[in-house]
Amino acid sequence: MKRIFRFPLKQNIGAKAAPTVVEGDKIVRGQLIASVGESELGANLFSSVSGSVTGIDENEIRVQADEVQPAEYRKLSGSDPLELIREAGIVGLGGAGFPAYYKLKAPFKTDGIVIVNAAECEPILGHNIAAIEKNPQKLIRGLQIVMDIVHSSKGVVAIKEVHSQAVEKLRETLDDDRIRIALLPDMYPMGEERAVIREVTGTLLGVDTLPLDADAIVVNTETACRIEEAVDSKKPLIEKDMTVAGKLRGNTDLIRIFENVPIGMSVRDVFDMAGGLADEYGEIIMGGPFTGKRVQLDDPVIKTTGGLIAAECFMKGPEKLGLLVCACGAGRERLEEIAKSMGSEAAGVEYCKQAHRVKNSLKCENPGKCPGQVQKVMALKKAGAQALLISNCTDCTNTVMSCAPKLGLPVYHCTDGALRAVNHKLIRKIHT
Amino acid sequence: MSITKETLKQHLKDPAIFCCRRQKGLVISAADLEDPSLFDDMEEAGLLKLSDDGLKIEQVIGSTLVCDVEALTPITKDMVDKVNEVTETASKEADKVEEGSAPAEGKTDAPAGPVPQVKAVQGGNGMIHIEIGKAEKLEHLSMDIPVFSGPGAAAPVCTGGETAGAADSSAVPDEEKAGEKKVIRTLIKKHIRITDAEIGTETSIKDGKITIDKNIIEKALKEDPLCKKIELDVIKPDNRHIYTETIMDICPIATKVEGELGSGVTKVADGVVFMLTGVDEDGVQIHEFGSSEGYLDEKMYFGHPGCADENDIIIRCNVVIEKKTGMTRPGPFAAHKCQDYIIQAVRDELKKYDGEVVREEVCEDVRRPGNPRVVLVKEIMGQGAMHDNVICPTEPCGILGGQKNVDCGNVPIILTPNQVRDGSIHALTCIGPATKEMTRHYIREPLVEGLAADSEMDLVGVVFVGSPQVNDEKMWVSERLGSLLESLDIDGCIITTEGFGNNHIDFIQHIGQAGKRGIPVVGVSFCAYQGQLVVGNKYADAMIEENMDKGGFENNVAGCSCVTKEVAARAIQMLKNKMAGVEIKPAPKKWDNEVVNNNNRLLGLPDTELLDSGTMH
Repeated sequence: MKRIFRFPLKQNIGAKAAPTVVEGDKIVRGQLIASVGESELGANLFSSVSGSVTGIDENEIRVQADEVQPAEYRKLSGSDPLELIREAGIVGLGGAGFPAYYKLKAPFKTDGIVIVNAAECEPILGHNIAAIEKNPQKLIRGLQIVMDIVHSSKGVVAIKEVHSQAVEKLRETLDDDRIRIALLPDMYPMGEERAVIREVTGTLLGVDTLPLDADAIVVNTETACRIEEAVDSKKPLIEKDMTVAGKLRGNTDLIRIFENVPIGMSVRDVFDMAGGLADEYGEIIMGGPFTGKRVQLDDPVIKTTGGLIAAECFMKGPEKLGLLVCACGAGRERLEEIAKSMGSEAAGVEYCKQAHRVKNSLKCENPGKCPGQVQKVMALKKAGAQALLISNCTDCTNTVMSCAPKLGLPVYHCTDGALRAVNHKLIRKIHT
Repeated sequence: MSITKETLKQHLKDPAIFCCRRQKGLVISAADLEDPSLFDDMEEAGLLKLSDDGLKIEQVIGSTLVCDVEALTPITKDMVDKVNEVTETASKEADKVEEGSAPAEGKTDAPAGPVPQVKAVQGGNGMIHIEIGKAEKLEHLSMDIPVFSGPGAAAPVCTGGETAGAADSSAVPDEEKAGEKKVIRTLIKKHIRITDAEIGTETSIKDGKITIDKNIIEKALKEDPLCKKIELDVIKPDNRHIYTETIMDICPIATKVEGELGSGVTKVADGVVFMLTGVDEDGVQIHEFGSSEGYLDEKMYFGHPGCADENDIIIRCNVVIEKKTGMTRPGPFAAHKCQDYIIQAVRDELKKYDGEVVREEVCEDVRRPGNPRVVLVKEIMGQGAMHDNVICPTEPCGILGGQKNVDCGNVPIILTPNQVRDGSIHALTCIGPATKEMTRHYIREPLVEGLAADSEMDLVGVVFVGSPQVNDEKMWVSERLGSLLESLDIDGCIITTEGFGNNHIDFIQHIGQAGKRGIPVVGVSFCAYQGQLVVGNKYADAMIEENMDKGGFENNVAGCSCVTKEVAARAIQMLKNKMAGVEIKPAPKKWDNEVVNNNNRLLGLPDTELLDSGTMH
């Protein structure tokens, strides 16, 4: 059976791409199917398969893939590294989806630091660390390309100390004096961009300032690797590494890493690659347990897809749940969605004191350093909450756990379903 | 929740508690410490146990943590590398001052010659803090004593205060002849002795006896068709154990004999008041929140400003109004109107009566240029029905010729102190029995009297602002008040309200309107237990409690919890403190009458004795 691949026209921050093919077109793997203007904030889009265009609407292009797919792809036409990055449609692959070209197009005026964010901070996800362990040279080469582009003499790979094997591999491979390895503590959200900068440079950025203000550029691990592919192999962004985990059929590993999953493939097909979904599961999360979103089986893999997790069935919640929203985890709508699935209604919503609204998202004033949650917990109890559903980071959750149970409030965490599905320890109190 | 550096400064002496888990090596700063204003709630919820060996905030700031510590744990010596040395100002050589008696005396008699530096701390939690920084001239006597509080609010407080002398130097601009009194107008209130009253066959006043023609009832009923029946009788001081329907109002008999309201000469019948009581045709008491029907001796706080005095003869006017009109605007108003018809007949007799003048009260509208300009803002009810007031009637405490504040859109209206003292407000009185301010209250309002007489103040006027029903309207009215206060260019104000709950919303907004314009503001209200502020803002940090009920409830004793002389004295002193920049300590989270009494003692006032009306819980 020929499979349908769906390519949403907007998979990034910025503008939607405009289709460059029409229905009925025969296309090949690596062919540009939608583009943005050179000066526009956006990203080109390529087909990850050979086949024919079966449908185009305002939101997506659908391609029916040929049964047999070629190994080769249509190469990019540019030659300059920055131009190749733009042409390849590379965006921030850690989940943000900010067009990489835009981040790199203005070189540092004097000097600055390029940090590869290899924190891989979300629980369960492991494809970035696996990629480093497999081919550390690719990452280092990607970092060097970026450093050249932005005229930087300092490169850092920021990685959690706990990933000792990957750290060891990097150390063995590294033969560039300009690049050092920075070790991060094993805590969520050490991978938050501003947390990485704080840990590496000692500068805590305001919630509305960009890394550039600290003369820093932060690039995700896979982004660096895909930059290497675009520059060295003229390969467009058509594939994505990801972690597939949770309620999988059979006795397979509960967490599996897949390299080079074609973008556009349906979530159902990805799970099939992993052995298939179990009969019962709560929801499918695209992304990590903290910040991922619920998707349906027919939804496609997109450029920013880093994880697909079939979560455990929902626990039955009490009648009224108090929601505590953290900037570093699930937002209000996501918590409401989970509460609804638990059969509960929201008795009240509180936001962590450090969560500040910047544009359409929340940003934490000082990621991973709790400002105290007792007042919020008491307010939720007062609002009638019989239990709490929270999305806090490790440190803030610890604070919630220091008071909520004493007030007779059981605590649920937005990551519970995902972590239960892989038999991981839940995010609760920190035990040292 | 972690605190800011500014909050930290206010809590240097409070226990240092980590808001969250903190790890070894941390240099302790404001961002690591829990907000001390939450401690009471946390302790109550069982989340926090303060320990005696816990360090204070000022002792740990900048210290380094030598071990990991969990959230909500008191910081002790063994957890930090160093404990900051804190110099206790003067406390070492201080003599203890007992119960604030010395400072109270200090208000009037500043001792000459050297006085030791004094610091007094009362009770286990330092609620009274008296400090005499420099002894020689007693120029820095400061006292700060939290008074009451309503949980959930921005920690209301009362004050202690400076000595009289000190306020002069710090709060008053140093102008030549500052505070010299300029009299704008004078009102003479002649209090005429009345020794007896009866319902008879003619209306007259003879030899100190008021007689009211019983046939006047028929004419009075014609004043308003909603009023169906009126009964008049006389209750003598020795016959107070008598059943009464809910007390709607206490109204003095006062009449103009010369000049307009607020000037000239007014005669006031001394030793007698009218009491309006009533039900509707179905026997439903005319009230909204709580009624005071029952035995009169148990249902009125005799002697309070709005009430009858112990020895007053009470002429009771009991009305029955049309059924189901008790909660409409016309129903209760009909009762007041009909009673006023009867009172007017007595007023007309009083005008002619040349009896014994018990006392001649000289009221002056004065200005004291150079003194701090202050206004008194009285929030009055304006939600409709009986929640309304007649402003500036023709006769003192009358109805005719006045305008209702609801009809005026509840906008702020400014009166002179003399106008208030001449009966400019006829209260249609509502809310609960205990906190409502009845008509008699305004003609002898202690805050008006106190501020007008205070030689350190320049009382610019008294603002009456209605409290509308709807929140949007409350905001609108409050903004109008804010502009008025700004244009008056005042240095401070006291804002009072009657009742609690709904009207606290605008009450607090009013405080915010003053506060955000940088005007020092003191709030006065019943809060206690039942009336805990439902909203708050950062400017509501100087609050005076009116409650006199043992359980902290709006009880059913008319006039129990309202502005008394003592409340007024505390409010005025607190305003002086606030204007002078004296720190006002936050009140404890929970209402505690002892805090009120600590302040009373500091000011040499009698203790606030709470009335046990069965509301203890």
